[in-house]
Amino acid sequence: MFSYTFHWNQAFKALPQMLDGALVTLQIAILSMVIGMACAIALTLFRLSGNRVLGGFATAWVEVARNTPALFQIYMAHFGLGNFGIHLSPYTALLVGIAFNNAGYLAENFRGALKAIPETQTRSARSLGMTPMQAFRYIVMPQMLRIAFLPATNQMVWAILMTSLGVTVGMNTDLAGVTQELNARSFRTFEFFALAAVIYYVIAKIVTMAARLFAARMFRY
Amino acid sequence: MFNTALTWSDLVFLAQGAGMTLTVTAVSVAAGTVLGIIFGVLRFQLGPYWSAPLTFILDLFRSVPLLIQLVLGNAAQSIFKLGWAPFTTSCVVLSLYTAAYCTEIVRGGIGAVPVTTRRAARSLGMTWWQDMRYIVFPLATRVSLPSWIGLTLGVMKDSALVLWLGLIELLRASQILVTRLQEPLFILLICGAFYFIISFPVARLGGYLEKRWSPND
Amino acid sequence: MMQSKAFVLGLAAAAAFTAPAFADKLDDVIASGTLRCAVVLDFPPMGSRDENNNPIGFDVDYCNDLAKALGVTAEIVETPFPERIPALMSGRVDVGVASTSDTLERAKTVGMSIPYFAFNMAVTANDKSGIKSFEDMKGKTVGATAGTFEAIALEKQVKEWGTGEFRPYQTQADVFLALSQGQLDATVSTNTVAQSNVKGGKFAGISVVGNAPFDIDYVALFTNREEYGFINYLNLFVNQQVRTGRYKELYEKWVGGEAPDLTVGGVYR
Repeated sequence: MFSYTFHWNQAFKALPQMLDGALVTLQIAILSMVIGMACAIALTLFRLSGNRVLGGFATAWVEVARNTPALFQIYMAHFGLGNFGIHLSPYTALLVGIAFNNAGYLAENFRGALKAIPETQTRSARSLGMTPMQAFRYIVMPQMLRIAFLPATNQMVWAILMTSLGVTVGMNTDLAGVTQELNARSFRTFEFFALAAVIYYVIAKIVTMAARLFAARMFRY
Repeated sequence: MFNTALTWSDLVFLAQGAGMTLTVTAVSVAAGTVLGIIFGVLRFQLGPYWSAPLTFILDLFRSVPLLIQLVLGNAAQSIFKLGWAPFTTSCVVLSLYTAAYCTEIVRGGIGAVPVTTRRAARSLGMTWWQDMRYIVFPLATRVSLPSWIGLTLGVMKDSALVLWLGLIELLRASQILVTRLQEPLFILLICGAFYFIISFPVARLGGYLEKRWSPND
Repeated sequence: MMQSKAFVLGLAAAAAFTAPAFADKLDDVIASGTLRCAVVLDFPPMGSRDENNNPIGFDVDYCNDLAKALGVTAEIVETPFPERIPALMSGRVDVGVASTSDTLERAKTVGMSIPYFAFNMAVTANDKSGIKSFEDMKGKTVGATAGTFEAIALEKQVKEWGTGEFRPYQTQADVFLALSQGQLDATVSTNTVAQSNVKGGKFAGISVVGNAPFDIDYVALFTNREEYGFINYLNLFVNQQVRTGRYKELYEKWVGGEAPDLTVGGVYR
């Protein structure tokens, strides 16, 4: 029925190279999550601050991050900023793009989580003599992070999937980049990409399970 | 900055790209939703054990980057000599991708309908089908619609990736213009604005519905 | 019982008459009346689009010539670089006229004709980088179109030098965009692409600074690996194009200057 013969051993020979790529993928995903989380907390504070300029800035960030494609954001970080003479390497551009995206979605998650925390708690904390910052730091934030943890896990999986977009800005060390290069050389598209799909799946599963274990330890009542 | 070589016909070209984005999205979301409802009901009816194979396959679509799925889908159709045009391949892959997420939404929606309500319906003599049609469907829709809108917007944005297979959608159209006119920032900003204009109002509508329809407010 | 036996026999006879067992691709193309060529259209002057979005270029003309030789009409199917092989494998095109380097690695997957064109490699640099020759690229950030002959050679060279960075982009257009923005200091591309981009005047601040000492990049027509009849025909066709002077004519039309020799000294094929 079909005349295509699979050359799987060619793909398996490239496995070590692809696993190295998988490490880079994981590294970018984790870094982008850490940076994104920090930015998201800052954005949440900006929104709570009541300051018009800061609040507007945060809202603009969140809406742009959520209403344009991640591919567009990454492309923009490389070629858009390049127009200003700001030259981000493919690695940095990819990291910045994903972190920007993560921050937008996480900030929105935090906002949802904040709604679930009664305002009376903040007030009682304040009446106990805490500053607004202390009340946020010790009362609200721990609960907010707990509620937002599950959506954040999903975002982490998203971040892993988004790293594959780096190939469009000249990234050649992550899993998708390595795979694409092997493919362009030999034209064995199916074999290499199928193997890459398996590796991505395994990474995503490991991360999800690790997050579950982490949550079980951290958020015991 | 606005001293640009961009002409009216180039804007039309971009709009055609946006049209392609919307077409691909519409086809994929329509097909994906139908599949998602079927799979969602199946998963709910079969229970966790019997639906395990289905769950696993759908989980694949949510754990592998869409870019890889598209490339694999295209390679597979070429190996099986299906002779699909890039448009068909893109729509098929995106539909399955949508279906995988939609299944979860549908399952969650059905799960949110109280069991007691359904039992009451059945004890009134309704068949399973009537129960599904008149009790579960309206209630589950309320719960699921905001997430479904979110999914639709997600697919619209993710559809940018079909440019890999050579479809000229919004992002690819702007890349072509960037190549010709060499004004990357300006054209990319217009492209971003296109996406934003399509996505933002719908996202707001979703937020509004969520607020209005959430059961416990 | 008898009836069904007769039925089977009849079926076998019908199959024998309606489906000649040895109709190969060459027969199929001639019978169908159209030759479908995969051509890359963001690769001037080999393939691009004119103002009315019609395909033009060396490869487009070459495909038309091939169709004429076969006595059929040509159909140009635009394929991005990574889409060339899937298009062939799925039967959407009959032959690739797409500036495809005839590497041994690729010949494991598709069948290559004898070379129909040859590229020399040129270095194009951003004027601010101060690069004046191929050797100056050592230690700089350089890039090329992913998976192409020149990208593979350049990446190898960067690794040999041990300093500097290599970046592959997915399209030739992105490479020149990055180069003109200064994200890349220099690139190695086929001389034809370099000339057409620099001459086009779209990109400010870049110029061709010299040749890269890479081997000549011979590119071939390709079709399915097992279609010997068709590959044989393609080989003869390429030979005839040179013999009749059509190759020189097309080269003059799209590139200009001395058409490169397509033979390698000291060895057959």
